[in-house]
Amino acid sequence: MDDNHQTTPEEMFSFWMKSAMDFWQNMATVQPEAFTPFGFPGFADAGEKTKKGPTRQARKSFEAGGKIFQSLMKTFSKPENLDALMKGMDSVPDLTMVMMKQALEGYHELQKQFMERAVKMGQQGKAYNFEDIDQDTFRAIRELYEKEFQKFLKVPSLGLTRFYQERFNDFLDKHNLFQTSLSEFLYMFYVPIEKTAAVMQEKIEEMAEAGEIHDDFNQYYKMWLKILEGHYMTLLKSPEYTQVMDKTISSLVQYRDAKEAFVCDLLQRLPIPTNREMDELYKEIYHLKKKVRALSKQADGRPSPKKG
Amino acid sequence: MSEPKIAVDLILKKLTESTEQAKTRAQKASEVLLGPLETDLSTTPFEVVYEEDRMRVKYYKPEKVEHKYPLLIVYALINRETMLDLQPGRSVIQTFLDNGIEVYMIDWGYPTRKDQFLTIDDHVNMYMDNVVDFILDKHDLPHLNLMGICMGGAFSVMYSALHPEKIKNLVTTVTPTNFDTDTGLLHIWMRKTHAYDMGSAYGNMPGDLMNLGFLLLNPARLIIDKYVGFFEHIDNKDFVENFVRMEKWIFDSPDVPGATFRQFITDCYQKNLLIQNKLELDGKRVDLKKITMPLLNIYGKFDHLVPPEACEHLTKKVGSKDKEDICLDTGHIGIYVSSKCQRLFAPKIVAWLREREGTPKKPTRSRKKKTPSTRTAAEKTASAAAPVQKSRAKKGETTPTRSTGKSTKKQ
Repeated sequence: MDDNHQTTPEEMFSFWMKSAMDFWQNMATVQPEAFTPFGFPGFADAGEKTKKGPTRQARKSFEAGGKIFQSLMKTFSKPENLDALMKGMDSVPDLTMVMMKQALEGYHELQKQFMERAVKMGQQGKAYNFEDIDQDTFRAIRELYEKEFQKFLKVPSLGLTRFYQERFNDFLDKHNLFQTSLSEFLYMFYVPIEKTAAVMQEKIEEMAEAGEIHDDFNQYYKMWLKILEGHYMTLLKSPEYTQVMDKTISSLVQYRDAKEAFVCDLLQRLPIPTNREMDELYKEIYHLKKKVRALSKQADGRPSPKKG
Repeated sequence: MSEPKIAVDLILKKLTESTEQAKTRAQKASEVLLGPLETDLSTTPFEVVYEEDRMRVKYYKPEKVEHKYPLLIVYALINRETMLDLQPGRSVIQTFLDNGIEVYMIDWGYPTRKDQFLTIDDHVNMYMDNVVDFILDKHDLPHLNLMGICMGGAFSVMYSALHPEKIKNLVTTVTPTNFDTDTGLLHIWMRKTHAYDMGSAYGNMPGDLMNLGFLLLNPARLIIDKYVGFFEHIDNKDFVENFVRMEKWIFDSPDVPGATFRQFITDCYQKNLLIQNKLELDGKRVDLKKITMPLLNIYGKFDHLVPPEACEHLTKKVGSKDKEDICLDTGHIGIYVSSKCQRLFAPKIVAWLREREGTPKKPTRSRKKKTPSTRTAAEKTASAAAPVQKSRAKKGETTPTRSTGKSTKKQ
């Protein structure tokens, strides 16, 4: 044999197929005792003599199974089929690579855009003006998530557990969307602090120039608080804030719903009633109590709680 | 050599003084915080006379009954009624008792998940109506005086329109009835966001989440300055006691039943049905023209939660001939707890009720004296926290009842 000869995957697979085929061929010709119940040769006698019973049936089934396996192996071993099979197997890592690549590219893009926007965030400092809040940053992050990542969680689930998988994916998706909205909401609350710091810096510079620096630090705190309150009032009244708050509330509600569905799936495996089940029960109790009260009123003419 | 523009020596001197002061304050503060503190709420004795599901009725009996008709107080679902009896010397309840009024007050309790389906109709036409019937039976009277607070005021308006024969006089305080206003952030947010969905997502609307919303109405004052103020007076026992008492009340927020929360936002804040006589409770239309009893409507000029525009339309819409609007120079909470309003608010109600009973007599204020520091703490918090303050006295509330054994429970 040539030592320098490199074994190709096709050759290795062909060799393995042949070995497997030989093994199962040999097994199929093994003496019937090998297939007796409990592995004791004596037990086979009765079956062998009558040529009936479970032993014979098991043997026949085994032989049939072996033959199917052999014919499959033979078919796969043909060079043209083997080649096709190997190509099919090649595509598995290819598919994985494509998915990984897409995910990584998306991640890099997200990071890149986030860094670019993060730098931009710090450049704002215009006092009492919230029209310039860089909401595009968060919109871009959200769009990027929806474009690059969300699709992986939306891949159709299959099989018996498809609904469970779907609910879990939905829970992850809604969690991510809520986190994105929450980040934007929290960022909005940080902006007035940033703007106030910029205004304070300017004011202190002006005061220093004019030689009017206070020796009482409480004065600076009061000044800072007044400016901060002004900035917050401007922010809270802005339509941009209302819009972001609404988006955060909506995404929180969706996240809660998705989490509830997922938790219900988990709890169903445990001897614990789920919220859904309890809510149904509570609703029934609520309606029953209403009915009883109405009937009681009808009967008494007026509710008659016992006096203390 | 020219004199420097900045007096560095003065700044350094001030800094040294401040450091010394901080050191002394820290020493005193540890004595205050580690020592016994009197921070109980709602200390006026009462008796629980009626219970139904989570709700109960507190009965406050005056030493001498001077009014024929008892007063039923209906608080909002968002806060706790303990605010009306915050501390001795700052208690609306005590003022009523001092003037001989028998007071019944609904304590809505703490809704659990099983209460999520309760609607406004259930609160008005079931709980309130049952309580009114109970009191009327007890006193053998055809009607009583009703006083509503904030959302409880809106409930009282609805009740009075649907059951006018049972109400002798109606007093509404900081009661929103017109929701079509952009004054006040709360109105804007409730109308322009999907906040009502949170009621469904959580079952009941969590009190803590509402509290967060109220804090966000003025973050600089309510999240920062309030606590800076606390640390500045941390060595003052009276201040600390009052501050802690107020904190207990503010953050003691029961959840609001989900169905009621959704209905209040959609029917009131978003569709503004109440003031237009279009609101329906269990198929019955709430017609404000059917409110024909005397009406006293009190609200705060600086109320950020329920601004004057939300309150002042009511008197024009009701069928009453005897009606009065009073706008006080205060906020949503200050109306009940500020020292100025202690002189104006409760005594005015007493006098107004007395006039309508035909027994005129000068009303007296709550007899307990307050300390100057007490005033500072409660007022400061009240005015800074002009947005609704809420509280729940689960643990802290001590309720020295006369007898709870006599309570009536209705299931």
